Amino acid sequence: MTSTFHGIETAKRSLFTQMAGMNTTGHNIANASTPGYSRQIVGTAATRPIEVPTLHKSTAPGQLGTGVEVTYIKRVRDQFLDEQYWNANRSLGDWEIQAGTLAKLEAIFNEPSDAGLTTVINNFWKSWSEFSKDPENVTSRKIVRENALALVDAFNETSKKITDMQTDLTRSLSVNADHVNTLAEQIAQLNYEINRIEGLGDNANDLKDQRDLIIDELSKMGNVIVEREESSYYRVLFGGVELVQGNNANPVTTAGLEAAYTGNGLNSGELFGIIKSRDSIVQDYLDQLNEMANTIANGDVEVTIPAGSVLPEGTVFNGITYTGANRTLTSDLTVTVKGINGLHQLGYIFTSPAQRAGEFFSSKGGPLTAASFSLSAAIEQDPNRIASSLRVIPGTVATGDQVVKGNNTLALLMSGLRDKMFTFNPISSNNGITKGTFDDYYRGMMGQLGVQSREALRQQENNQLLVDQVDNRRQSVSGVSLDEEMANLIKLQHAYGAASRLMTTMDQNLDRVINSMGIVGR
Amino acid sequence: MALRVTPGMMNLQMMRNINSNLIRMDHNQNKLSTGMKLNKPSDDPVGITYSLRYRSELSINDQLQKNAESAVSWLEFSDTTVGQINDISQRAYELLVRAANGTNPEEALDAINIEIEQIYEQLISLGNSKFNDKYIFNGQLTDQAPYDQLLAPTQGTDTHGILYKFSEGSGLSINISGQDIFGEPNDDDNLFAILTRVQTALGSDDKTALQAELENLKDRLVKINEARSEIGAKTNRIDLISNRLGDLEMNITSMQSKVEDTDYAETILVLKQNESVYQASLATSAKIMQMSLLDYLR
Repeated sequence: MTSTFHGIETAKRSLFTQMAGMNTTGHNIANASTPGYSRQIVGTAATRPIEVPTLHKSTAPGQLGTGVEVTYIKRVRDQFLDEQYWNANRSLGDWEIQAGTLAKLEAIFNEPSDAGLTTVINNFWKSWSEFSKDPENVTSRKIVRENALALVDAFNETSKKITDMQTDLTRSLSVNADHVNTLAEQIAQLNYEINRIEGLGDNANDLKDQRDLIIDELSKMGNVIVEREESSYYRVLFGGVELVQGNNANPVTTAGLEAAYTGNGLNSGELFGIIKSRDSIVQDYLDQLNEMANTIANGDVEVTIPAGSVLPEGTVFNGITYTGANRTLTSDLTVTVKGINGLHQLGYIFTSPAQRAGEFFSSKGGPLTAASFSLSAAIEQDPNRIASSLRVIPGTVATGDQVVKGNNTLALLMSGLRDKMFTFNPISSNNGITKGTFDDYYRGMMGQLGVQSREALRQQENNQLLVDQVDNRRQSVSGVSLDEEMANLIKLQHAYGAASRLMTTMDQNLDRVINSMGIVGR
Repeated sequence: MALRVTPGMMNLQMMRNINSNLIRMDHNQNKLSTGMKLNKPSDDPVGITYSLRYRSELSINDQLQKNAESAVSWLEFSDTTVGQINDISQRAYELLVRAANGTNPEEALDAINIEIEQIYEQLISLGNSKFNDKYIFNGQLTDQAPYDQLLAPTQGTDTHGILYKFSEGSGLSINISGQDIFGEPNDDDNLFAILTRVQTALGSDDKTALQAELENLKDRLVKINEARSEIGAKTNRIDLISNRLGDLEMNITSMQSKVEDTDYAETILVLKQNESVYQASLATSAKIMQMSLLDYLR
């Protein structure tokens, strides 16, 4: 015999199951906009049937159903898409940082504009040309000095802004490393909880969503490898180094990240982008700037000193020492001098007797870089120390040489350096100019900056597209569709209603049996 | 596998589309408001190198034009001065002709002598002419007066040119040395020497000597004119250079404009297109976002 209450039990099971379904639908709707949430579905199955009970072993085919039960509630998620997302996201991370860095560099160099280095450099050459017309006059000398100071300031300022940028990147690296560690802690904690829950045979759906969301975030910061272990732990490798193992997080340090960068363990993501920006991109432009400063001051450049010029006593060119009468050049002399300094030191200042000029640019200390680049202190204090003349009337040892003030050869040679080929030290940059005018070098730099920046932007856009595409696929699988949830809700509601009706029917049956039967003749 | 479409996907897509439309608009807006299509190197990496080149060429061109202007001022001043030298030398020649030919009473010769002396002094003063506080006839020794009242006949000047540059390579010496005008020291036709000898000859009424000086002075006058026409030739040359620099400036400016400047008509047109696309994306998004099964479940 079947139990009297069999139907009630079946109805109850149905009510519970439909309710579980509706609750899950409710949970899905509630989390429709929760980042990282994957929709959950309720798995149902008919409960174990029983033999159709008769007095004897039934020979009738079929079994009696006992209703329904919830077999699982699980999230709908595709691990493969997760992997794809993490891989695309890390490239997006580093290109974003690189594009940002290059955009900032573009802002620092501020070209083309009337305030960039080009303008300052041009003004510097112009001032020498202006000076050549009026070399005797202190006013035009001051113009040269002011323009040289402007050039020096521009180099110093640009260098400072670039090194400031490097400092910012270092700070950013440390902040981001802290963030990675926070995330690692959270993953370790979630590992623990998920393991505990799943150990009991349940699905830790929401916790797993949270853990995957954290990996999403982490994947933008560096190259992440996630190994899924039997124990439902995630073993996470970040930048080639084990970040999370079981319940434990191994914190990263900036030094460790830098080592991973050098060893190619860290090869993408924001942290990679930060270190690359700082040590490679920004450093490259700083190196080039330093090279420019050093070359204009001291770099090899060929000049032709016209006949009639008088070289300072004891000057050595091409193995010939110029002394006494042969100091006065009888024909044009083409020689290589060491930048503006080398050329300037061939000139004379207006003292009596004439004195050989000193260096024009100098270093504030240490090797000459864009940061230490400065105008020689003597010239800064006294513009009369700027030489314009390459000619003296040689005198005796006692009287000394008398400078020819109207000679403007040096000033002309200086302004002519604008078009002369300087020799630049090769540096590990993509600029590649080792011989060219000062302008060529700077233009090469700006062209390179433009190309790099544009490439970074393009890469950023492409990777964004890729990430969006994968995310779309992922959303397509895991995202909550409200229409779908509503449709389910209606379905479940009807099922629930019907189960309730079953319950009512059973109730009525029993009512009939209990209250209305056996009352014949009453 | 058929793609399930979820509101989250549509939302993401919509935001991206609207955003990229906005970025495009912002970009074109920027082009219009700055008037430049090249605002940073990445806008046109090749263009930036041209842009910087044009800028630096324009800058130096500007300076070369200034140099040409200064040179012209210098030459104009020299021309005026040499003109004056020529005029008074002509006057000396007339006086000399009068003294050498025919008979002159002693008073007349004295008067001529006095005028010759004045002319001599005037020539010294012209020979020591200064422009911008520089002696223009003493080569590069611009801080030293070339002629002394007494020593002038035996004084030479510095002959080095003062070079002004009007292009990358070539320069032009814009000064003319005193020797070219007045003659080298101890030359027969040194103007100062002639006048000194004339004065002596006038004192002794030595007609033969005067006659000889007449020839010397004639030679000198020719040379003064040669010097003057050299100044004229240089001025012409600089005028030509100036014109060329002016043309070059126009050419470079127009090339710079092509690289740097916004094409307004085109950009406004594109911006209008962007606007339409943006509006369409907003409108369709608004429509799609509103709809849901909920609207139909009653």
